[in-house]
Amino acid sequence: MKPNVSDVLMELSALVARNAAPDIPPTDRAGALGLTAALLAIAGRRWDDAAHNLVHENRELRKLLGLSGQDDDLRIPALTGENARLRAMLINRHAEIEGKDQQLEDAIWAELAASTVRRLTPGSPV
Amino acid sequence: MSLEGRLAAYISGRLPQAQNVVVDRLARISGGASRETYRFRLSWTEAGAGRSRALILRRDPPASLIDTERRIEFEAYRAFFGSDVPVPEMLWLEEESGPLDHPFFIAAEIEGFQAAPALLWTEPYLACHPKLADRKWTILGQIARADPEALGLTRVMEPVAPADCWSRELGYWEQVLDEDEAEPLPIIRAAIRWLRANPPPPPQRITVVHGDYRTGNFLFDTAGEIHGVLDWEMAHLGDPLEDLGWGFNPVWSFGRGQAGGLVPDHQAVAIWERSSGLRADPDALYWWTLFNCVKGQAIWVSSARAWIDGGNREPIMVYPPWALQNAQDRATLKVMGRL
Repeated sequence: MKPNVSDVLMELSALVARNAAPDIPPTDRAGALGLTAALLAIAGRRWDDAAHNLVHENRELRKLLGLSGQDDDLRIPALTGENARLRAMLINRHAEIEGKDQQLEDAIWAELAASTVRRLTPGSPV
Repeated sequence: MSLEGRLAAYISGRLPQAQNVVVDRLARISGGASRETYRFRLSWTEAGAGRSRALILRRDPPASLIDTERRIEFEAYRAFFGSDVPVPEMLWLEEESGPLDHPFFIAAEIEGFQAAPALLWTEPYLACHPKLADRKWTILGQIARADPEALGLTRVMEPVAPADCWSRELGYWEQVLDEDEAEPLPIIRAAIRWLRANPPPPPQRITVVHGDYRTGNFLFDTAGEIHGVLDWEMAHLGDPLEDLGWGFNPVWSFGRGQAGGLVPDHQAVAIWERSSGLRADPDALYWWTLFNCVKGQAIWVSSARAWIDGGNREPIMVYPPWALQNAQDRATLKVMGRL
């Protein structure tokens, strides 16, 4: 999830502190804090599942790409970096096999659909 | 000097007959990541009589999720003012950064109506959906019916040949993705490959394209009337099906499974065809709907990029990528029949 959750939480912390000042116009404060609440709700939901989902997704991507290996560093930045590397490889692989390998193509689409279920946010419109 | 004071000084310079110009009740309107939007009350004395008016300030932020020319937005509003397409009256455009730090324009406020989509699924708005849908796509048809040259918009908007409409738009938004994406987007890249391999036919005619015509970007009342079409910052010349397809991007169904959250797609198409006098070829409309999934993702990605690069650290820049990027991927899969 970009921007990174940890970076956004730091920024929101500063924003909340600024809005604690008594001279902030009420409409400005309401706008800032309303959005902050919405972002915190998304972060809370996604952060809890993040490591589990990334490890699972990276495993599925390696299968599709015919790669071996596993995630040894379970910190979110490391898992996210590996996920980006694998998804970039998937784009190339997908483009190579389109119209040529229906079975693999279907498997790629199925994994892409599954990835959006893992990444669902509260109140998603789709 | 406060923003109120600077605004009053600026407006004084444009109203030489006015005295005692005062700006008060300045309040930022939530949302709007592409421009900072404020409402305020302008009061002044003219020929011995006190006057006042509710106005809107739209100012460029330090960095935006879309890069657009505010002159084009300003001229698009001005061109349609007084026509069947309801828009607010434009008053002043300032393209220099001196007066208020960033370029801006000032417009009359259309007071007393709502824009928030969430309200539409609460009382007393539930009964107005059929009327609102009729007005929404009738007005979009009127935009498509309008002659860009007669409106004076061919002087400010970049021309495009009919055969180039799709490639210009797809090329632009693909480049935005190339430059701004912070992580690989396999679903959107697959959609782009399909779009390039299956181009749509040229448009029936080149029209003004609003560029962001969706539920949420117009002012409505409880009876389903529309009083103002807003957010013309992406207006350009092109294929009118582009505007129709933007509204069919499933992200803008707000989870209701209908066009704009209001009526089934085929009803919206019928209203638009009747109003525009054009036919919405199903295959071409499919292409433009999928294209608009790509465009939507490019906009959310740009918002993330503006935040990551530090140009704009407002929380409104985080909300689109966090709340809509995955939804846009799902919308793309849905349009492609993969979800």
